[in-house]
Amino acid sequence: MARTFIGGVHVEEYKNTRRAQIRRMDPAPRKVCIPLSQHIGVPSVPVVKPGDIVDRGQVIGEAAEGLSVPVHASVSGKVTAVYERIGSTGNKVTCVEIENDFEDRDAATIKPFEKRLPDTTPEEIIEVVKNAGIVGMGGATFPTYAKIQSAIGKATSLIINGAECEPFITADHRTMLESPASVVNGTKILLKALSLRRAYIAVEDNKLDAVEKLNELLKDSELIKVQVCKTKYPQGDERQLIFALTGRELPPGKLPADVGCVIFNAETTAAVFRAFAKGAPLIERVITVDGDCVREPGNVLVPIGASAMDVIEACGGLVKQPYKLIFGGPMMGVAQWDPEAPVTKGTNAILVLSREFEGVGKYGQPPVCIHCGKCAEVCPVYLLPNYIAEFDIAGRLEDAERFGAEACVECGACSYICPGYFPVTQHVKNAKSKIIAAKKKAGARISR
Amino acid sequence: MLKKKRAEAATAQPLSRDEISLLTVSSAPHIKHPDNTRILMADVLIALTPAYIWGIYVFGWRALTLGIISIVSCVLFEALVQWILKRPITVGDLSAAVTGFLLVMNLPVTVPLWIPVVGAAFAIIIVKQLYGGIGKNIVNPALAARVFLFISFPSYMGDYSAVMDKPSPFEITLDTVAAATPEASATPADAVAAATPLHAFKNGVMPDEGLFTLLIGDHAGSIGELSALLLVAGGIYLLVRRVISWRIPVSFVGTVFILTMLFPKLPLVSDQVALQYALRQILSGGLMLGAIYMATDYTTSPVTQKGRIIYGICCGALTVFFRYFSGYPEGVSFAILIMNFLVWYIDKFARPKHFGWTKPVPPEKSGKLAEGGEAAK
Repeated sequence: MARTFIGGVHVEEYKNTRRAQIRRMDPAPRKVCIPLSQHIGVPSVPVVKPGDIVDRGQVIGEAAEGLSVPVHASVSGKVTAVYERIGSTGNKVTCVEIENDFEDRDAATIKPFEKRLPDTTPEEIIEVVKNAGIVGMGGATFPTYAKIQSAIGKATSLIINGAECEPFITADHRTMLESPASVVNGTKILLKALSLRRAYIAVEDNKLDAVEKLNELLKDSELIKVQVCKTKYPQGDERQLIFALTGRELPPGKLPADVGCVIFNAETTAAVFRAFAKGAPLIERVITVDGDCVREPGNVLVPIGASAMDVIEACGGLVKQPYKLIFGGPMMGVAQWDPEAPVTKGTNAILVLSREFEGVGKYGQPPVCIHCGKCAEVCPVYLLPNYIAEFDIAGRLEDAERFGAEACVECGACSYICPGYFPVTQHVKNAKSKIIAAKKKAGARISR
Repeated sequence: MLKKKRAEAATAQPLSRDEISLLTVSSAPHIKHPDNTRILMADVLIALTPAYIWGIYVFGWRALTLGIISIVSCVLFEALVQWILKRPITVGDLSAAVTGFLLVMNLPVTVPLWIPVVGAAFAIIIVKQLYGGIGKNIVNPALAARVFLFISFPSYMGDYSAVMDKPSPFEITLDTVAAATPEASATPADAVAAATPLHAFKNGVMPDEGLFTLLIGDHAGSIGELSALLLVAGGIYLLVRRVISWRIPVSFVGTVFILTMLFPKLPLVSDQVALQYALRQILSGGLMLGAIYMATDYTTSPVTQKGRIIYGICCGALTVFFRYFSGYPEGVSFAILIMNFLVWYIDKFARPKHFGWTKPVPPEKSGKLAEGGEAAK
């Protein structure tokens, strides 16, 4: 029996690219625009100025004080500008623009880690992971070194998240299929860093070929086990995955380490391995490019900072007028307003959907909640989204809080299932952020 | 299909960057489950159809005339009210058609042809639209209209005398009813001329109809409530299509069954007779129609899983109460209407604890505060 959680919804998969081999972005971008804030925490500090010549992998933004990681040049070339622009999440970020000279010079600092794994200490591993600028690549972009630090001594089991429950995206799937060794070895490094003796690699049962590959490598391993999970959205959410594997419920506002788990994305794990084996900083990542507007959907290894249009043109360009351009999956991804938006470390997919595909106006009735309760049935955190949405509209924040709005994981299942086309998720998110803001202001609970 | 489209598109020139129009930005999710309100409502209409066709077979074409009048007037009233109130016209979601369909299922075939028009006006204008339209009404429109008609025109609504004669489909007011009207006394129950199985229950005797007759539905009653078998079949279709959940119908019917079996309103019964009695209770009257199609109405039923069971049990208990002790033979409509008003409180009471819920830590008593207080003194 495949492991799973309660609630959730089976979303149409659209995994058209499941057989598309990872290929390098070709042609390489003429210029890249690298945001210095691609992680949760303090933005990095730029250490280059316009006119500088940089090598690939050279540090262009140093980690600031506090929660921060360095940012590296993803191509070699000349820095043309350091300026502020609106990033893919809608906030203003400082960006470094580099013109590619196509020489692919690697920085001198890139060299493999020299010690053997049994001789390394957790501190050394954390140092390497931090210097490589690795963050959670599933989309949350939490600095990986900080996650390791927070989990040392608290977590008892390590979970590698290869569930990839979002429709369309196959980046993790292809990574696990094409380089299972880097995922497995990355897991071993993380086990060492955390001084743990147990790890699970969680994979949904629509990726059994990847499970096979991993199992082949793990035949003799006592430490690492592959766990097959049911294909259901949002299986890849850390709360749902921890519940599926351990039966523990992670309360809102807590870290996985608080329930004895620590969880890394499969591609992050592979990046950790590359940081050791090759000394490679996180300057490129696999991105699934798909959607009905893209001519040749596929999985592309893209240098960080390449613009979305460059990546799409490397996939044959657009064949239809796009309606939405989404960074991430269709369920939780962020719709972009700018086709030139740069990809970041957390971008696992670029989707271009046409108006017909998106289905707006197909139904033609005004959005309305008909109180059917389907949202409550699919909610993976057992909320009553219809009531919370109504409270949000009515401005009744106390009631929304009492109904647990803060526990929302923003997975989008309620809006997806809603037969009335009511933007349930949006209202619940709204209520949630208003409650959090009000609490910050008051410094305490706003209700009894 | 996507693949085919892609193959067609692959021959075209890719769009250049300048040709791209403005992108749309909106909150996630960006895809949608194919089901919408219209599809769900259409499913309800499909599920009701077999039982209705059986009604036409038993009662003749007048049942069809009434149905058309009822559905058309519901849809027209909805469009009219929305047009007057300058709201978007939403008859396309088929919810008004479902109301009209449910209304005709609840009428005896002998009612005058203007009865469904009056019922539709009450259901759509007063119960539904004045409260804000679909999703906002407090009680089930079709049921409220049925009860409204029942207490306003008891002689028409309680008359099952002519049911087996296949009355004329076009005569506006039937003679039998007109003749019966003067004799109708003040109490509605007395106005009832022909006996449905429920009247036997009311009088504390076992109805003549056998279980098989009740299951197939070859007896007196409202147009749509006859065949328990076809109503259940429609209910199974709705379950398979995931339009309704099993919780309300099962707990509703189950409660009626258990209560009538434990406390049959018969003098001195054996277990065997009690079982027969309880089976006849759940198969007769509007129970199946009410439990499967009316109590599960989205807008007027709880959304929580636990709440749905509580709601079903309360509906069942009230139904038995009304069947045993009220002045009316049937209690399903009243039971559901009463429970409709309590939906919000049931949901509030039965809402699940969210994922990862932990007992809130009570604010720290005394301790520092008390010390501070003393220091202030």
